[in-house]
Parts: sequence; structure tokens; C-alpha cells
Amino acid sequence: MSVRGPDFGSKPDGWPWGTGRADRIILLLIVHLMLIGCGGAMHRPWVQAGANLPARCQLDSAPFYSQKAFQCGPAALAMAFTWSGVSADPDTLAPEVFTASRKGSLQSAMIGSARRHGRVAYPVSGPQTLLAEVCAGHPVIVLQNLGLSWYPVWHYAVVVGYDANEEIVILHSGVIPYKRVSIKVFERTWARSDHWGLLVLPPARFPATATEDAYISAVLGLEKAGQWQAAVEGYKNALTRWPDNLAAYMGLGNSYYAVGNIESAEGAFRVATHRFPTHGSTFNNLAHVLWKRGKQQAALDAAHRAVELGGPLVSVYRETLEEIQASAYGQRPCR
Amino acid sequence: MSMLRQTVKPVSVVVIISMLFVVVPYQSCLAALIGTETVIETARGHEARQQVKQILDREEIRKALRAQGVSAQEAKARVDALSDAEAVRLVEKLDQLPAGGDGLGVVIGAALVVFIVLLITDILGYTDVFTFVKKRHVR
Repeated sequence: MSVRGPDFGSKPDGWPWGTGRADRIILLLIVHLMLIGCGGAMHRPWVQAGANLPARCQLDSAPFYSQKAFQCGPAALAMAFTWSGVSADPDTLAPEVFTASRKGSLQSAMIGSARRHGRVAYPVSGPQTLLAEVCAGHPVIVLQNLGLSWYPVWHYAVVVGYDANEEIVILHSGVIPYKRVSIKVFERTWARSDHWGLLVLPPARFPATATEDAYISAVLGLEKAGQWQAAVEGYKNALTRWPDNLAAYMGLGNSYYAVGNIESAEGAFRVATHRFPTHGSTFNNLAHVLWKRGKQQAALDAAHRAVELGGPLVSVYRETLEEIQASAYGQRPCR
Repeated sequence: MSMLRQTVKPVSVVVIISMLFVVVPYQSCLAALIGTETVIETARGHEARQQVKQILDREEIRKALRAQGVSAQEAKARVDALSDAEAVRLVEKLDQLPAGGDGLGVVIGAALVVFIVLLITDILGYTDVFTFVKKRHVR
């Protein structure tokens, strides 16, 4: 991509209006200066973002759903869902994400819906991540303000490609598939949502721009939505790339436990105690599953170890120990 | 000021009661798995506390602390008293400060850092440095 200054006004004789109207010319000059001022500055991040990427990328695997009035949210989500392998159409999604009183879909509802369908909702937050994800073959839902900052017209679209030479991005937007929009216009409309973007991915697939904390948080969202099986897959996936992530081990164990796979939960927590022998939380959870599996002595040992290690959560460890001790003597202090 | 206190009192009662509702159910039977979110938050809180302590170890910060009559050791003890969420918020606040450059900038920067650390621990009731943060003293 190259930085090309806008060349408005280079050929004054081509203007369609008559010359000699001083006031008009002054007005035009002001507009001209404003355009130059904006155009140059907002272009630069896009040039940097495209530096290490192909000049053009386009994915054809994302289907297009035409939207009904105000239903751009469900339509955009349906495109991303279908691409990711969840069968969905805008009409069935509308009740999940559309808020009638707002005549639109809130970002949190979009994220929540992705999670409820067992898909990892991963944030995209700027040109750099957007272009990289598109080139990795991932459609990106973006929130644009097609109006003005003080008179917003919010709109969700799906970015499915770009061409740096032509300086365009390619969108599934509204009723138009593969709509070609100049990068300048797109940047202006996208910047008004603080570059809000969303990836909807199967849990076994990494975002191209995945970072450890953000990915783990995204998988945690699946736990929150009760999509434990998807969370298991997400944490397993995370551990292939970040094998030293405590939260991923704990999440894996907790998610296994939630789907009733206590044996695998024990395995995950046991590995966690080996990898993180100074973290009481790993022993606490191991103690809990061992106790559930009827291995009382091993459970007692693990609970003792957790209490010994201490830390900010030591009061929980103590209660785990007390509960296991009490049950060993046939009392049940807790429900 | 007493009028302000009178208006604030019912509000605090409501807040205290609602906080109890949040805390009590968890205390009745806590022997459960440590949730993934708790693991993440605890790790973040730990990291944030380490970060603040590293900042408090810098020479110009120690000087600014001394000017407020607080030793770096004491300041760290106060940071330890912060909850995970509070520690994370403190680091976020410090991150928002403009980066100090030359001599004067560093001094002002250090004073600002110390001000924010002490102010936040003050508001949360862990310290008592600034008189404008009103508290009732129970002694």
C-alpha cells in the first residue's frame, strides 16, 4: 500500500462550478484543508498494518445473508456462524441479539450469542488485527457508524477481504455482498466504534493474532455461557500453544468436571499440580475431584498440601480440607 | 459537611447490606472448585502488585514518598492490602499518567505516582494521608 495524498484541487479548471465566486472558493479551500488533514493521518495505520501481508486477500467461504430493516446484527452474526460451522440464519438469531427498543443489536449480545453457540468470541481492535485475520481466512464482524458522531447510524458488516492496491476493503454489508468500500471511508466509519471487531471461531481454531491472555479470556467466556464441551476444546487448544498457562489447566479441569467427566478432570488437575507445585489452587481442585471419586486418602493429602502452600485463597483450601475430613468421619457439614 | 454525612449514611447502609448479600452465600459452603476466573484474577492481582512494588522501588519515587512521610516498605505493605481488582485498577491508573521525560518531568511524575498510590489506598481506608478523604476514625 502506498500513502497517496488526496489530490483534490490539483486541476482547478476541471471544477464544475464557475470561478470568480470568492466566498465559494474560500469555503472549498477550508474543506480541502480539512480533507487533507484527516486523509493523511488516518491512512498511516493501514499502510503499517498491510506491511507484512499480501497486497490483496479475499475469502469466499463466508456466505452472504441479506438483512432486513435494522437486522444487520443477526445477519452479520449468521454469516460468521455459518462460516464457522454453526447452521444459523438471521431470523432464528434475531431473538437472541436484537433489542427492539434500541432498534439494533448490542455488542455484548453479539458476543453472548457467539458463546451460547459454542463459538469463541475473540475481539479485533484495529487495522493490524483486522487485515491479518482476513488474510488468515477469518471473516471479521465490524461495527461501523455510517452517520455522524453526534447522529449515529450504527451498522454491523462482515469484512471478507481487502485490496491494498485499490485501497479498498470488501464487505458483506446490508443487502450487498462483496461491497467494495474505500479504505478511507471504511476507516472513518469504523473508527467511530473505536475499531470494534469480532471473530467468531470454532474453539479448536486460533485467531491469527491470538495473544495468550485474550485467548484464555475468550475461552473463559464459553464457561460463562455454560458451553463446557466447547470450553474443554478451547482450553486444550490453548495448551498446545501455551503449555505453561495455569488458567488453561484449571479451566480444562473445571470444564471436564462440569460435563461430568471427573476422570479427565482429575487428570487435568494432576498435571497442573506437577507443573505448578507452588499453587495451592491446583491441589485444592485435585483434592475435590479425588474426594468425589472416593479416593479419600489421596484427597486428604492434596487438601493438606493446598493448605500448606497457602496464598490468597487459603480460606477456601481450609474449607475443602475440613469438608473432606468431616466426610471421612461420616459428617456432612455442607449441602 | 454534617449534612453531607447525613445524606451519605443511608446510602452506605444500603451498600453494606447489598455487599453482605454478595458475600454471605459464598461463605456458607466454600469447599468447592476454584473457578477459572478466580485463578485468572488472582494471577492478575499478583502481577499488578509486583508491578506497583517495582515502581515504588525507584529512587525518585522513594524520595517523593519520603516527602509524604511514608517509607517504601510501608507503601508496599499498603499495596499488599489491596484486593486483586483494586491492585489492577491502581496499575491502570498509573499507566494513564503521562510519561515523565527530563529532570522536572521525572520529579512531577514521581510526585503524581506517589499521590495516586496514597490516594487510592487512602480512599479504600488502608492509609490516612490526605485530610480531604473523609473517614470516621474508630480508635
